[in-house]
Amino acid sequence: MRKLFYPVIMMSLALASCSSDDAAGDVQQDIDVPSNYTFERGGETTVQYPGQTIRLQMSAELIGSFKNFDTATEASLLNMFAHVEGASDFDNTALNASGKNIKSKTAASADYFSANVAESAEIKADFESYISRQVDEVFPNENTTAEAGVAGQIADGSSARYVTGKGLELNQAFAKGMMGALLADQMLNNYLSTAVLDEASNRENNDNQVLDGDNNYTTMEHKWDEAYGYLYGDPSIPTANPNSVLNESDDHLLFNYLGVVDGDDDFNGLAQTVFDAFKTGRAAVVAGDYQLRDEQVNIIKEGVSTIIAVRAVHYLQAGKGAIAEGNMGGAFHDLSEGFGFMYSLRFTNNPNTGAPYVSPSEINTFKTQLLEGNGFWDVTPETLDTISETIAAAFDFTTVEQAAN
Amino acid sequence: MIKKTLFLLLIGMIVFACSQDESTAPEENNDAFDRKAMLVNWADNIIVPSYTAFNTEGNNLVSATNSFTQNPTVETLQQVRLTWIEANLAFQHVSMFEIGKAEALNFRNRVNVYPTNASEIESLIADGNYDFSLPSTIDAQGFPAMDYLINGLASSDEEIVAFYTTNGNAQNYKDYLNTVAETISTLTETVLNDWNNGYRDTFVNNTSSSASGSVDKLANDYVFYYEKALRAGKVGIPAGVFSNEPLPETVEAFYKEDISKQLALEALQATQDFFEGKKFNGTSKGESFKSYLAYLNTIKNGENLGNLITTQFGITKSNVEGLNTNFTVQIESDNSKMLATYNELQRNVILLKVDMLQAMDISVDYVDADGD
Repeated sequence: MRKLFYPVIMMSLALASCSSDDAAGDVQQDIDVPSNYTFERGGETTVQYPGQTIRLQMSAELIGSFKNFDTATEASLLNMFAHVEGASDFDNTALNASGKNIKSKTAASADYFSANVAESAEIKADFESYISRQVDEVFPNENTTAEAGVAGQIADGSSARYVTGKGLELNQAFAKGMMGALLADQMLNNYLSTAVLDEASNRENNDNQVLDGDNNYTTMEHKWDEAYGYLYGDPSIPTANPNSVLNESDDHLLFNYLGVVDGDDDFNGLAQTVFDAFKTGRAAVVAGDYQLRDEQVNIIKEGVSTIIAVRAVHYLQAGKGAIAEGNMGGAFHDLSEGFGFMYSLRFTNNPNTGAPYVSPSEINTFKTQLLEGNGFWDVTPETLDTISETIAAAFDFTTVEQAAN
Repeated sequence: MIKKTLFLLLIGMIVFACSQDESTAPEENNDAFDRKAMLVNWADNIIVPSYTAFNTEGNNLVSATNSFTQNPTVETLQQVRLTWIEANLAFQHVSMFEIGKAEALNFRNRVNVYPTNASEIESLIADGNYDFSLPSTIDAQGFPAMDYLINGLASSDEEIVAFYTTNGNAQNYKDYLNTVAETISTLTETVLNDWNNGYRDTFVNNTSSSASGSVDKLANDYVFYYEKALRAGKVGIPAGVFSNEPLPETVEAFYKEDISKQLALEALQATQDFFEGKKFNGTSKGESFKSYLAYLNTIKNGENLGNLITTQFGITKSNVEGLNTNFTVQIESDNSKMLATYNELQRNVILLKVDMLQAMDISVDYVDADGD
């Protein structure tokens, strides 16, 4: 039955790639798109994104530390979020030596937040509040059974989930919210933004092969690779051919969910589509074909936004199903992930409008609806359906079911 | 132009594929099969007798554990061990019925999550303060925790007994062992009492063919059990099907070492007997999944689906019988046999979860968890 609702989104992606093929037709001889993400100059690679890898590792370690009941403190977690160079915040000492951190890149893209610092500050404060509340509300109730209005633990099969009095797992809200606020925002709204790719003399320098200081890349090439790094930057993912470890890497962030969505028959091929767009766009940068580059940007924006939307709908619907069966622990886990992905929709980018697929004010309304009163303890199936349908409609999914399975 | 034509052709193929799918969708199933008779056979001849037998074993387990902790000797330890094995075997006959009170109590997880968490057990014993109703203690209670406490504390029986006699914390070890046994027994009694005091009637009268009907629900519980607890838990996970390497330390009854095959065979037989509607501890058969399939006359590959499933149970059984009594040894010596057994178990997942449920127009009500 599910296959009946064949994805409109895939058709539009297919259309996009068809038309870009047509556009590439004129200059095809000039563009050498390699089979892997391998780009060299003078026999040396031009692809580097260590800063992205570091931030993904910082995120992973911080998320894992949310459940260190015995050793984590509010300060230790907040310090991981806003790490300063040399501080011993992480077990991974390579991260401690870095001058980079997560907080400065959260809700910090050129397109969405450079002239919107108030909202950026609110979003950063949301993530800091997840940390503070985990320590203040959830930690003291580690050995309390959760009830409506009472934080504590609740069974989800053989696992224990640790939730607030509203049933929200703050570690999930943080992790799935970071998919948008850090990864998608930096990738789609910053590094793939024309404002960043074409900043200052980037085009001229790129055309003339003027390299970025002592590095082997032009600034524009590097910006593109930094976008690439936010999706494929986990150390377990090979740069040249990331999809060779699709659904088998150690990544728990966007690349992991790209694999999950790709495994859904309705969205099969998405991982290849996104990778091909990254590769083709990078080759277009090398060739100085900025029209082709920007066509690939649009494919990536649509594809990465789709990951977030599909998982948001999936988890909200899974939560609805689990509530119907009386499996509240399972429901809270699903709804917490769904909440985080829904939050991440704020950072999606519809290439037709240059704005999120779902408006920030709508997302705020949804957040309020999910968490009002006792939150997940008494959220109604109607509320979950309304939110799911709104997201599905914004992405032209033909039905909620298409994304839900 | 050629590309545009190709693309239109592609759309055409997609539409074609879609309409093909439609034709294979399950028909609305308003059959006249006597669901009530099947539910009565399940409840009265299989489920309640299985819980009754397991409850008796649970009481025996508490008695033996009390005797041991009052007088810890090698002999009383061995008596605990024997009753533990008997109770564990009896549990294999009820584990699949995670419905009603059992579902509300998270019964299967509280009685048999393995591998057990030995360091958590040791820390709770040292602390002397624990609450087994907390989900975080699920991997520190039940049969696997007892396995550690009566088989895994040391390599010889004398050394194990010493934990309950000369050890500085002996009283805490005794209390913990008693509490684990009593919790298994109390949970079982709660489920059995619920069946005996009203739930049986609720269950057999809920003949609706919707997702909330007893047939749909128990069919899902049964298939879930077969797929997750039997196929994955007893064989697939230790054989490394879901990981990069085999995980021999995750076999059931790891510390006892030599009953993992026996437990798997018992569970396999219990699932087959339930499929065929065979009376608990008897030979007569009543209405069942198999007779329902016969009624629906479901043919797959030219054969009756119910017969295919029974045949596959038999093939799987002889496969399991060919394994070492200790699955850990089997995995470490020749894991390919474990993997072959997994494949045979998997064949019935397809027949039960896809073909059978589709024939009965029952929707699968669970999805694979993310594991995060």
